[in-house]
Amino acid sequence: MRSLIGIAAPAAIILGTALFSAVASAGSADIQEPQGLWTGAMYGPTPATLGGAVVVDLAAVEALLAEKPLLLDVGPAARKPEVLSGDRPWLPTHRSIPNAIWMPGAGVAPLAAGREELFYRRIGDLVQGDKAKPIVVFCRAECWGSWNAGKRLVLDGYTSVRWFPAGIDGWWDQHETAEVKPDAGWSAEPTP
Amino acid sequence: MGVGLRAQNEAKRVKVRLFALCLALLGATLAQGLTAAELAATDTSRAARWNTIAAYIFGDRKIEATETLIKLEAPPRAQDAALVPVTLIMPEKEKIKSVYLVIDDNPSPLAAHITFGPAADPGSLQLRVRIDTYTNVHAVAETVDGRLFGTVAFVKASGGCSAPIDSTDEEAMQGTGEMRMKFAAAAVPGEPMQATLMIRHPNFNGMQMNQLTRNYTPSRYIDNISISSGTSKIFDLSADISLSTNPVLTFSFIPDGKDPIRVIISDTKAGRWEQTFATPASTN
Repeated sequence: MRSLIGIAAPAAIILGTALFSAVASAGSADIQEPQGLWTGAMYGPTPATLGGAVVVDLAAVEALLAEKPLLLDVGPAARKPEVLSGDRPWLPTHRSIPNAIWMPGAGVAPLAAGREELFYRRIGDLVQGDKAKPIVVFCRAECWGSWNAGKRLVLDGYTSVRWFPAGIDGWWDQHETAEVKPDAGWSAEPTP
Repeated sequence: MGVGLRAQNEAKRVKVRLFALCLALLGATLAQGLTAAELAATDTSRAARWNTIAAYIFGDRKIEATETLIKLEAPPRAQDAALVPVTLIMPEKEKIKSVYLVIDDNPSPLAAHITFGPAADPGSLQLRVRIDTYTNVHAVAETVDGRLFGTVAFVKASGGCSAPIDSTDEEAMQGTGEMRMKFAAAAVPGEPMQATLMIRHPNFNGMQMNQLTRNYTPSRYIDNISISSGTSKIFDLSADISLSTNPVLTFSFIPDGKDPIRVIISDTKAGRWEQTFATPASTN
């Protein structure tokens, strides 16, 4: 019964969203692709390209959905502060493209020992060994994590990697999101 | 589940059906918009989220919807997700005991709880918060007779909680605890007046990566702000990781014409700062 006021808002935003164009984040022509993975700061302008992968915008992602691609979200998990004030609840949630697989932090470079192998093993399981299966990799806008995760896949011989640099910021401007939990296979082995 | 909620759900279903119809009629022009199925799914998950949070904060106390006891003004689209201005308006201010600000999809959703004292003028309060994602924001007023009334707004923002730090942590800490107070007018004893408190504090929330060191900056944030007029309380604000860097609070109070305003701030690393501000006297 306390939920009366929780359901009013999203309806109001629909027409509003049509008025705004998607968040522009197609990457910057000024930023060169690094050799291999990017090991600098994770947030900031990213390149306009990812060699070996196709850069996609929202329309391309929408068109691709019919092919049931693997939607791979590598956005970070909320990090719990050492001290929470009072007895406040800590209730992290993560919204993503519906049906996305969320592997938090999988775009970090370098990854801790064993994590990169786990990443490849887990992706291999998810695509059932089909390295030609379309994989859309994303996080937030201006996030190197998705670039790195896409690069990892390219380096391992995946041939249909789509990098979606606008990420969730580009998606939720036009579409709703779903709450997703971290992928069990990725999170079963704790991040050091 | 009460009759009221069933009625609301029914109204909602009708609305969803209407929306499906609208979308069908508008056809191609709204091809990129939400589908009715998306809308229904998100309503359900957002309502479930709010139920979970409300149970943590309010137990089984009922929250009544209100159009009049509390209003929430927030930008539909935040320009800076780490600095979103939110205004709570309580038109029937004599009925208000405390207000809660809840940012549903922030990992620690209870952003602030403000308890008013006898020197308060609880008609409005503005603060700046971090909002991490596209989310409902709830404002709940607790009345002096112990009832809860709520309202909600939807805010589009992204990454406010984890906005990275571009200076060194030491630089960000410089001047921490410094305060300024701006009064809107001269004080007339017994008449409400508005003031704006500006606090220097980085409010590290533990979720921010320092871009220079690539380490997470340890959390250190303001957990309480207490403001009094002389010995009479204006309000206590219990804060959280969602308060912005360098918080700014605009509030109203009833000056007594002689005592200064006293502000006491504490943070989670045992920081404590206290300052008094003389209210500008009326010239007549």
